[in-house]
Amino acid sequence: MRWLTFFCILLCVSLFQSTLMNWINLGLAVPDLYFPLILFYSFLSDFKQNTIANWFTGMAKDLFSEGGFGINSILFVAVGFFIWSVRGILYRGHLITQVLSAFIFSIIYNILYVAHISLSFHSLNFSTTLWVIFICSFYTAVLAPLMFWIFSKFQPTQMLFSIRDK
Amino acid sequence: MRTSTPSFGSLIKNPLATIIILLSISLVLLFLPPKLSGRIKATCVAPVRPLQWATCFCSNSVSNFFDRVISSWQDARVRNRLEEQTTQLKNKIVEQQDAIYKLQNKLTNLSKFQTENKNIKTNPIPADIIGYDTSNFRKSITINVGSKHGVKPNDFIVSNNALVGRTTKVSEGSSVVQLITDPASRVPGRVLQTREQVIVEGNASAFCSLKYVPRWAKLKKGDEIVSSDIGGVYPPSLPIATIVENEVQGGSLFQSVKALPKVNISKIESVLVITN
Repeated sequence: MRWLTFFCILLCVSLFQSTLMNWINLGLAVPDLYFPLILFYSFLSDFKQNTIANWFTGMAKDLFSEGGFGINSILFVAVGFFIWSVRGILYRGHLITQVLSAFIFSIIYNILYVAHISLSFHSLNFSTTLWVIFICSFYTAVLAPLMFWIFSKFQPTQMLFSIRDK
Repeated sequence: MRTSTPSFGSLIKNPLATIIILLSISLVLLFLPPKLSGRIKATCVAPVRPLQWATCFCSNSVSNFFDRVISSWQDARVRNRLEEQTTQLKNKIVEQQDAIYKLQNKLTNLSKFQTENKNIKTNPIPADIIGYDTSNFRKSITINVGSKHGVKPNDFIVSNNALVGRTTKVSEGSSVVQLITDPASRVPGRVLQTREQVIVEGNASAFCSLKYVPRWAKLKKGDEIVSSDIGGVYPPSLPIATIVENEVQGGSLFQSVKALPKVNISKIESVLVITN
């Protein structure tokens, strides 16, 4: 895994997510561009690289976000580990797998994150929050194949489409 | 029999040790006092702020350029005349118009605020928005003024003479503003028409909710919420939001009230920081 490439991708994703989201958001639906990165590295790399990449991605999200410093790194490492552990049973090269994985795991991540916020502030409206989780995860999932294609241009993906794992 | 303790190098090669070390760092950071973690965040992100500013500036310029191109398409006659006469100078004019528009906007905001708030003895600082929150469930913006411009934590932010939020983290050249729609935001307010005292609370959507509105309070759609000076953070009588929906549920003590903030943050490029 090329770490310099990873950090460049992470910087670009952070800049895009923190400045240019007004261009692509659709009302409340804001895609989380960090999530396809988590999915990509969980599919692509080994356990240790995956953990480190997910931790740095979480830290980057925390740096550009209000709230607890470290919460996203913990959640991303946890979700990344879960994806990594089930990747053997998935056909990772297929577009549908990428979309469905992004959607399901994004929902899981968002529910965990919202649970953390709810414990701290008690101010989230249940139905609105569920709707936001659904549409944001859906939008993230729709963008996942495009993000995979962009990431695969910069990172070697020979492991991504192999059937047998190391 | 000799036993040797593992070195740090061999420890870091162990995947389990790596995950334990990383999660420990995250947990330590998570439980640090907010002031200290805010300082660490500001220090870590400071080198990226110029890039963020440049990206935002380019995005705004391109957006304004497209807006003008689209509006010029709508007026075919003007467009044709302009295309014939100023094809080569078009981009330059657009760039200059954009700069003038931004400055005029800032000046209008500043003079409007000063004429309407003569009793507030503060110094408004104009600032540009250079970044937005990366999380879907937190609402904050980053502005390009910081402690070297005189900004301090808990200074309040206005736009078009309406409350936007307050500064939470201030570094040398930039500050993070917690918007009134953030779930952690609580703003003391008052209903303009009925004088009911309320708390305006964010809920991570485009709307705010009002807490502690008694069920007998006679609110209606379109009532205005203004800030109250209780707590000493915000000045009195600053417009915050407009009531869009209120409902009395079953036997609850308080009404459920939804309010739309006066400022749509996605449609503004600059704000005023009012130092406390």
